[in-house]
Amino acid sequence: MIEIQNVSRRYGSVQALTNVSLKVEQGSVLGLLGQNGAGKTTLLNILTGYLAPTEGRVLIDGCDPLLEPAQAKRYLGYLPEHPPLYDEMTVREYLMFAAELKGVEKRAIRAHVDEVMELTGLTAMRSRMLGHLSKGYRQRAGMAQALCGDPDVLVLDEPTVGLDPMQITEIRGLIRTLGKGRTIVFSSHILSEVQQLCDHVVILDSGVIRLDAPLQSVGEKDEITLLVTIAAAESSIVSKLRQLDGVRRVTVQPTAHVDQTTALVTFYRQNEPERRLFGLLSNLGMPLLHLSRVEDTLEQVFMNAVSGGGKTR
Amino acid sequence: MNIIYKRDLLAYFRTPVGYVFMGVFLTLSGLIFYLYNLQNLSGDLLTFLSQLTLLVMLLCPLLTMRLICEERQKRTDQLILTSPVALGSVVTGKYLAAATVMLLTILLTNVYTLIIALCGRVYMGEWFVGYLGFSLQSLAFLALDLFVTCFAKNQMTGAIAAFGANFLLWMADLLADHLPVAWMSECLNFVSLYERYEPFRLGQLSYSGILFFVSFIACCLVAATRVMDARRFSEGGAA
Ligand SMILES: Nc1ncnc2c1ncn2[C@@H]1O[C@H](COP(=O)(O)OP(=O)(O)OP(=O)(O)O)[C@@H](O)[C@H]1O
Ligand SMILES: [Mg+2]
Repeated sequence: MIEIQNVSRRYGSVQALTNVSLKVEQGSVLGLLGQNGAGKTTLLNILTGYLAPTEGRVLIDGCDPLLEPAQAKRYLGYLPEHPPLYDEMTVREYLMFAAELKGVEKRAIRAHVDEVMELTGLTAMRSRMLGHLSKGYRQRAGMAQALCGDPDVLVLDEPTVGLDPMQITEIRGLIRTLGKGRTIVFSSHILSEVQQLCDHVVILDSGVIRLDAPLQSVGEKDEITLLVTIAAAESSIVSKLRQLDGVRRVTVQPTAHVDQTTALVTFYRQNEPERRLFGLLSNLGMPLLHLSRVEDTLEQVFMNAVSGGGKTR
Repeated sequence: MNIIYKRDLLAYFRTPVGYVFMGVFLTLSGLIFYLYNLQNLSGDLLTFLSQLTLLVMLLCPLLTMRLICEERQKRTDQLILTSPVALGSVVTGKYLAAATVMLLTILLTNVYTLIIALCGRVYMGEWFVGYLGFSLQSLAFLALDLFVTCFAKNQMTGAIAAFGANFLLWMADLLADHLPVAWMSECLNFVSLYERYEPFRLGQLSYSGILFFVSFIACCLVAATRVMDARRFSEGGAA
C-alpha cells in the first residue's frame, strides 16, 4: 500500500532522514515512534507529498505523490503536526472546502461533512469560527479534515497532542474504529498509545530506523519473567527454583532482609508460570510475599533501540 | 481551481484585507480625482486613470501577500498541497481571487466617470480603452506580485519585495535610457509596464499591448507554479 524507498532528506546542512525504507501493508496501523527531532514529521511530510525527499521515493498504491499527485493523493488524509485551519472560516465551511478539495461529489458533500462532524464530535461547533476554537477542538477539526473524502490512507502526526484525557481516549477510540479496513500511519511519542493502537511499530532515531517490527513480537519474546519475593532464606529456595520445570534462569536481587528472597525467575514461554511457582512454594510451605510479571514493555524496547544504536530487528 | 478561488475570495472579505484594500484605493483615488479633475475642472479620464498606477503599485502587494505567504505561515498549505489538486490550478485560483477584488475595485472607480459624465462628456471609446489598459496593467502587477511573494516566507517580506519589483518594472524604461549596452536597454524597454501602458493612456487601443500583458500574466503564473514546486525540494516547508 505504502512504500518508502531509501528516502533521505536534508534541510541545508541538517540531515533529518537517512536512508529510510518502510512498507506499510493495506489495512495495517503503523505507529511511528521517536524522540523530539527524530524526523517523524519530516517523514510524514514526505510521505504525503508536501515535501520532496532529497533522495529516494515514496509510492502510495504504486503512485509517486510528486509525479502523479492526483492519483496518489486522491485517497489520502493527512493531519499535520499543526492542524491546517483557516481561522476565518467556520467549522462547517472549512470541512466542506476540505471535502471538495478531496474530490467528494458535490451532491454528497453535505451529508459527508455532517457524518465527519458527528464522528469527531464537532457537530455542536459547526458554526463556530475556527480561529475561536480551543486547542483540543482545533485538533479535532484537523482530524475531521483528514477524514474528509473517506481516505483509504490516513496519516496522522501526533493526533492526541494537546488533548485532555477524555478527548485522548475518544480520539484513540476513533483511530481504532478507523483502523478497520484503512491503512493508518501515525506518529507519537507516547509509547502506551502505540502499544494500544498499532499492529506495527517503527522506531526512528536521528533520522534512522532503529526498529521495524510487528507489535506482537515486540516485548512478547519466548520467555516470561516473574518478580517474586519469598519469606525464606536465599540458600533454601534458590536451588529449588532452579530445578522447577520450565525455568530458564533465576537472578537473585539484593534485599534488606536476611529471611526474605527476591528474585527474577525467567520461564520458557508456557502457560501459567505463576501456577507452577505457587505450587512449588505451597509444597515447601514458604509464604509468597510478592509476585508480578515483568513485562518487556515497549518502553524498554524503545530505550534499547534509541540508546543501543544501530541494531535493527 | 474553482474551490481555491471561492475560498480565497471569501477570505478577502472575511478578513479586513479586502475592505482595507478597496477602502484605501477608493479613498486615495477620490483624492486624486478631486485634486486633478475637480480642482482643474478637467474631464480628462485617461490621465486620471494613469495617475492611479502608483496606487496599484503600492496596494497590489497587500492583495497578494496573503495568498501564498499566509498559507505558508499558518501551514494551511499542508492541506492544499496534500490534496489531489494540481499546483497550477492552486496558483491560478488564487490569482483569480485577487484579480476579482482588483477588478471590482477598478469597477467602483467608475463613480468618478459618472461624475465626469454628469458635468461634462465621456467618450465611450476613450473610456473603454482607458479602462482596458488600466485593468490589464493592474492585473499584470498583481501577477508579478504573486510570483514575487512565492519566494518569501513572511507576509511582510513578501509585500516589500513585491513592491520593489513593481517599482523596478515600472521604471524599467527610465533605466533603459541610461544603459550603455543596447540589448540590455532593449530588454528593459520590452518589460517596462509603463511603456506598454503608454498607448492606452493616450487613448489608443494597442493589440501588442494586450498581447504583452496577457502573456506577461501567464508567464508570472507559470513561474509562480514552478517556484512553489521547487520549494518542496529546497525548503523545509513552513518554519
Ligand atoms: N524547516 C526546517 N529547516 C531546518 N531544519 C529542520 C526543518 N524542519 C525540521 N528540521 C530538523 O530536522 C530534524 C527532524 O525534525 P522533525 O520535525 O521531523 O522531528 P520530529 O520527529 O517530528 O520531532 P517532534 O517530536 O518534536 O515533532 C530536526 O533536527 C529538525 O531540527
Ligand atoms: Mg513532529
